[in-house]
Amino acid sequence: MSLPRPGFPERLAAFCARLRGEHGFMVGPGELHDAVRAIQLVSLAEPRTVREVLRPVLTGRRDDLAVFDRAFDEFFLQPRAGTRLEHTGPDRGAAASGRPRAAEPGRPRDATEEEGAFSARRRDARLDLVGRDAEEKSPALRAAYSPLAAEGEHQPLVPPDAPWQAAALVFVRRLEISLSRRYRPSPRGPRFDIRRTLRSSLGTGGELLSPRWRSRPRRRLRLVLLLDGSRSMSPHAGASLAMAIAIAGVATGTEVFTFSTSLRRITRDVRRAASGEPRVLDPHEAWGGGTAIGACLTDFLIRFADRLLARDSIVIIVSDGLDVGDPAVLRDAMDGLRRRAAAIVWLNPLLETPGYEPSALGMAAARPFVSTFASVQSPQDLSALSHTVRIRR
Amino acid sequence: MIDARGLQARFTARGFIVNEAFATALQLVLALRKPLLVEGPAGVGKTESAKVLAETLGTRLIRLQCYEGLDAQTALYEWNYQRQILRIRMSEGAAASLESREAEIFGEAFLLKRPLLEAILQDAPPVLLIDEIDRADEAFEAFLLEVLAEWQVTIPELGTIRATHPPFVILTSNRTRELSDALRRRCLFFWIPYPTLEEEIAILHARIPGLPARLADQIAGAMQIFREWPLQKAPGVAESLDWALALMAMHREHLDARALEQTLGCVLKVREDHRVLESRRAALDPVLEATAPPLRPGGHSLDTDFGIGSVSTPRQ
Repeated sequence: MSLPRPGFPERLAAFCARLRGEHGFMVGPGELHDAVRAIQLVSLAEPRTVREVLRPVLTGRRDDLAVFDRAFDEFFLQPRAGTRLEHTGPDRGAAASGRPRAAEPGRPRDATEEEGAFSARRRDARLDLVGRDAEEKSPALRAAYSPLAAEGEHQPLVPPDAPWQAAALVFVRRLEISLSRRYRPSPRGPRFDIRRTLRSSLGTGGELLSPRWRSRPRRRLRLVLLLDGSRSMSPHAGASLAMAIAIAGVATGTEVFTFSTSLRRITRDVRRAASGEPRVLDPHEAWGGGTAIGACLTDFLIRFADRLLARDSIVIIVSDGLDVGDPAVLRDAMDGLRRRAAAIVWLNPLLETPGYEPSALGMAAARPFVSTFASVQSPQDLSALSHTVRIRR
Repeated sequence: MIDARGLQARFTARGFIVNEAFATALQLVLALRKPLLVEGPAGVGKTESAKVLAETLGTRLIRLQCYEGLDAQTALYEWNYQRQILRIRMSEGAAASLESREAEIFGEAFLLKRPLLEAILQDAPPVLLIDEIDRADEAFEAFLLEVLAEWQVTIPELGTIRATHPPFVILTSNRTRELSDALRRRCLFFWIPYPTLEEEIAILHARIPGLPARLADQIAGAMQIFREWPLQKAPGVAESLDWALALMAMHREHLDARALEQTLGCVLKVREDHRVLESRRAALDPVLEATAPPLRPGGHSLDTDFGIGSVSTPRQ
């Protein structure tokens, strides 16, 4: 134990700086101040107590706990070499700066870590980005030149026809209504606003002449569509794209992505198609390859989720769930999506097949996070879907 | 000032077992006067801990249950409109000016205090429990941040009210959504995990006096195994207490395969989880009493309640 009493606040500050710098903790001067106050409550002779008293102050979420404990032990419990370690950086620091822990999926993880590992994984995934992109270049290229890929024709994006348009309108309107539960003052509405009515009655001597109302405001629907563009989905590509275009034409905030081995944002193309300008989706990047759903969803979470997902967002994934990646990656990604969005709708065309059970590894991993599991092949299916989507509040 | 060990002892005396880490976190709440955000799986005693803390300190517990659609009005204050209208009617003939009438009906007598305002107005610092904050929406979270930081509330008609004794705040969350970083920064953080085997045995004995020791060991052991399984709804401490009570009511001295079958509804509450149990029953063998007759193969015995738990069954 190296807790030199005179210089201890400085050492605590150095520890906070390390938590902030190396582990991305939200630790500022306020937390340091609290930490110093907290430390005065306990005896410095007992390292475990010191750790327990600092932990609630300096951590903010569950994923921080294991990191904090490790960092604390490294920093304070090393024999005098601790100060030197600060500069050379222990192995965790090396991992942060240099070699990413790319072989993450294979790493055995213990049960306690498992549930909340998403943000840790996310950190790793962020580091991975460079590495993984480079890796994925080659399979994508191979696919592009393989005979199979030659079939991957250019996907036409055509303006929606009337039935799709009507169905999308029904779908979007119904969801919009169910979005908000909070009543707000409005010129007309189903509920009497007695507070404002009374206030306005002061001028008329307490005579309630002009009633005020409250209603549920209609919020703009935030939809994110993630379309599986892998080869196994190609028979269903027409329907899923038609649905996406129709919905994008009605709900202006809709974002559309396709993925197979990598993720691609096609919102702009889809919006143009929805506004009556036919487009052609070139098949290369995120269309017509194999499927790595987990990796693509993780990529989505890292690159887009903060901006595009809000608590009232609805994520619609169209995929057959035949994934070649690690189910654990998919599960973590789905967990991340579930926490950020109000509902996850998974549209699986295989549901139409009699006797189909969602038992594929990927599907089984994703299933617990899906709030609505259905299939949309026709405009009728889409308008019916609005009844079954359950929005979490 | 109570130290962690003192808190631990006082909690234990009230039948609530806390480990030292949690006691330390609670001590920090008292010492630093910062809110404590408690997260953890369902049924590990997050809410209960706030109640016991209030009892321990001998202060009031004020509870704000969050839900989607909760707004500042419901959490803070509301005017008593019915009384206001009556007063307006009664003072109709009076010659008072508009201002004085307004001042009258927006006086403190017409104010309905909701939990947050109530907590601010106390004479001694109460324990304020903000339960399931993850269910409220982001707008409310932002509003709450302001209250937690300043401990003052502005009511346009009355002016600003400042807390003389800021409450001790405990927030709980089941992690159904991510809380904002801003809220997390304002709070101390503690994660309550499932109890260890020894802790759970201690909890069972503390909460259910007269529970046979053998049964407590078996229940806690089975729970440890259940929580390792990929269940949709893993049983918490609340479930093990229910289970123990159910077995006590059936006058069981120990847990065997038959008793498990009959009381399964106390523990596993999703149908899919029952299937998981079927496929992994062998893992429970070390915990279950071996003396019990094996289940008849190929079907349910007639006197089982199929795990529903509400059907009375003949005692052996």
